[in-house]
Amino acid sequence: MLFSEVYSAYFNAVAAVITEALDGKLSVNRINEIIRERAFSESVLSILPALKNGEWAVLDKNFQTPIKNIPKMPLTTLQKRWLKAVSLDPRIGLFSVSMSGLDEIEPLFTPGDFVFFDRYTDGDPFTDDEYIARFKTILAAMQGKRRLHIKYRNRRNRLMHVRIIPYRLEYSAKDDRFRLETAGGRYTVYINLKQIESCELLEEYDAEKLIAPKRRAAAVRFTLKNERNALDRVMLHFSDCRKETRRLDNGMYDVTLWYEARDEREILIRILAFGPMLRVTAPDSFISLIKNRISMQQTVSRKMADSEN
Amino acid sequence: MAYRELIKNMSRIRVYMREFFVYGFKSRDEVGTKSPRSYDNEKRRLESWLGDFMSFRQDAGGKAVFLSVDSRHIPRNPLYRAWKAASFTKNDINLHFILLDILADGKPRSLMELLATIDEKYLSSFDCPDPIDESTLRKKLKEYTDAGLLTTGKSGKQYLYSLAADTVDLDSWQNAAEFFSECNPLGVVGSFILDKYRAPKPTVFSFKHRYLLFALDNGILLDLLAAIRARQKVALELAAGRHGGRRQAVIVPLKIYISAQGGRQYIAAYSAWKKKIVFFRLDAIVKVKPLETEAEYEALQETLKTEQPRIWGVACGQCRLEHLEMILAIDPKDIHIIRRLEREKRCGEVTQTSENEWTFTADVYDAWELMPWLRTFIGRISSLTCSNKKVEQQFWTDYAAFAAMYGGGGNAV
Repeated sequence: MLFSEVYSAYFNAVAAVITEALDGKLSVNRINEIIRERAFSESVLSILPALKNGEWAVLDKNFQTPIKNIPKMPLTTLQKRWLKAVSLDPRIGLFSVSMSGLDEIEPLFTPGDFVFFDRYTDGDPFTDDEYIARFKTILAAMQGKRRLHIKYRNRRNRLMHVRIIPYRLEYSAKDDRFRLETAGGRYTVYINLKQIESCELLEEYDAEKLIAPKRRAAAVRFTLKNERNALDRVMLHFSDCRKETRRLDNGMYDVTLWYEARDEREILIRILAFGPMLRVTAPDSFISLIKNRISMQQTVSRKMADSEN
Repeated sequence: MAYRELIKNMSRIRVYMREFFVYGFKSRDEVGTKSPRSYDNEKRRLESWLGDFMSFRQDAGGKAVFLSVDSRHIPRNPLYRAWKAASFTKNDINLHFILLDILADGKPRSLMELLATIDEKYLSSFDCPDPIDESTLRKKLKEYTDAGLLTTGKSGKQYLYSLAADTVDLDSWQNAAEFFSECNPLGVVGSFILDKYRAPKPTVFSFKHRYLLFALDNGILLDLLAAIRARQKVALELAAGRHGGRRQAVIVPLKIYISAQGGRQYIAAYSAWKKKIVFFRLDAIVKVKPLETEAEYEALQETLKTEQPRIWGVACGQCRLEHLEMILAIDPKDIHIIRRLEREKRCGEVTQTSENEWTFTADVYDAWELMPWLRTFIGRISSLTCSNKKVEQQFWTDYAAFAAMYGGGGNAV
C-alpha cells in the first residue's frame, strides 16, 4: 500500500528520536530539532506530547527508551519492486547499482508500460559505454568536489576546452537529455553531455568558497482567454514554472510566468502553441518577438500568394 | 472533529493541492466541495507540509492561496510530503518500533511469544500502558507480512514470525534513487527509499520540465500498473466533469501515456462498451477498482500497438484517418528548425522538398491534436492543408485572430 504510516514523516522522526535516545544524549530541544528536520512544521505539536506523556511507548519521561536496537525497517516489497523496475530503465547504466537482493523480485512496472508521447526523440545515448564513463566521471567529480577538464563541441561544432567546477547535472524529461551546469568560470556554461568528447578529473576545489552560478531570471505576463478549455491546458502546461494567476472579468485571466532568461526562445514557442488564447502584455521585448514571428509569417504568406498569382 | 495534521486518505487533499498548485486564484468559497471548516483544515495542513512554497494574495474576490514553485530550482518534489502524512493509532506506532526491535536478533517468534515480550519487556517500562490484545497483534503481523517486512514459517501448528531478509545493497542505490525518485512516474516510492539514508548526499541533480503535480496521482498510477501487470479489467470512478456528477467506466488498462510537455498523464485502455481504445486523464480518476482478468489482454495490447502510429497525442479510434501536410520555408542556415522537425515529428514524416522547403506530413486519427504544435512554426508556414477542412480553417482563423491581437505584426510588417 502506497499511503501507509510505515513511510510516514512521523515514523521517520520517531525512529531518529529513538536512535539518539539510545546514545543517551536526548533533550527536549534536540527532539524538537529532529521533528523539524524529519516531519512537518506543526508536527512538534503532536509528536512531542505523545512522546513525553508515554502515549507512544517508545520513550519514557526521562527520555529513556525500551527499544534496544537502532530502528531499522527492512525494505518493503513495494520498495524492492520499485528498485527492480528502475533497474530495467535504460538510464540505470549511469549508476553503479548492485542487484543483490533483487533477483527474485517482480518489477513494479517495466519501461514498456509507458509511452512518453511528446518526448523528443534525439535524447542522450544512455547505453553508450563512453557516455556512461563520462557521466560517471562527472558524478565522481561532483561528489568528490573536484574540478574537471572538459572537451566538448559547441553549437557551431567548435571543439572547446574548459576547466570548470561541475555544479548540477540537469535532466530534462522533455528533451530526455542531461546538461551540465558549471561554476567557477568567468560565466556559467551549460554543456550538453551528449556534446562532451572527454572529461578528466582535476584537483579538489574549496567547496566553502564555491559561488553558485547566477541564473538570470525573466518574466512574461499574458492574458488568457478561457475558450476551448484553455485555462486548464495553460495552467497544467506551465505548472513546471513559477507562476501567479489572477482572475479578471469575462473569462479572462492575468498570468505572470517566471523563467530563466536563457530559455526565452523555448518560452516563446510554448506561448505560441496556445495561439490567440494567450496575449502577451509585457515585457515589450517579448511582444516584439511575437510580432517578429507574425511579420515573418506574413512575408512567407505573401510570397506564396505572389507565386500562385 | 478536532484538527489533525495527518490524514486517513489522499482523496480530499489531492483536490486542494491541485487547486492551489495549478490554478491558485480561487477563493475559499470555490475550492473543494466541503464546508468552510474543511477548507481551513486542508489549508492549515498544506501550510504545515509546504509552508515554504505557499503564498497568499488578497484581491476583490477574496483571499487566494497558491503554491508557487519553480520545479527547476528544487532538488526534491515537495508534493511527496502528502504521501508521508498517513494517520495511525498509538498501537500502530508502538507495535511498529517494538516488533522491529524484538525481531532484530533474527530469531523467529510465535504470536504468543511476541505478545508476552511486548508486555514484559516494553510496555512494563510505562506507568499505565494499554495492553496490546492478541487480535490487534495478529492483524499487525499479517499487515507487515503482506507488506514484506516480516516473513512467516511454521513450527508444528504455530506460525513463527521473523524480520524479512534484506540483502539489498542500499548504499549502491543512493545516486540512482536521487535521480529516479524525481524523473520516474512512480517517484514517490523512491522518495520513501531516500528517507532511509541517514546522511543525504549533496545535491547533484536538477530537473527541467518536471511536473511536480504528477506526485498527486501516484496512488492511481500504482493501482493501474497493478491491473496492467495482472491483466485485469478495472472500474474507474471519475471526478465530476464540467457537465455533471461523477461518472464510471469499465476498461482494460493497457499503457500509461505521459505528456512530458503538457503536465498530463493518461491511461490508454480498451473500452468494451465503446469497442475502441480510449484515454482517461489520471488526475480525473478518483478510484480504481480491480475486476476480473481479461482473457483477450494480449490481443488488446496488440490493437493499441497497431493503432499507435496513427495517434499523435491521446486521441484514437475515429473511423477515418486525417491527412495533414505542412510546408515550411526554412533557410538552410536555420538548421535548428530542421532538427526540431526531426525530433518532434512523432508519427509524422519530414522530407526536404526543395532547397528552402521542408514538408511535414502525418496521417492521424485526430488532426486537431496537432494544432498547438503547428502553431509553434508560425513564421515559416508556406502552406497547411488537412483532409479535415475544419482543422485547416480553424488554424488560419486562429492565426488571423492572433496576428490581429498584436496589430497584425505591428511596425515589423
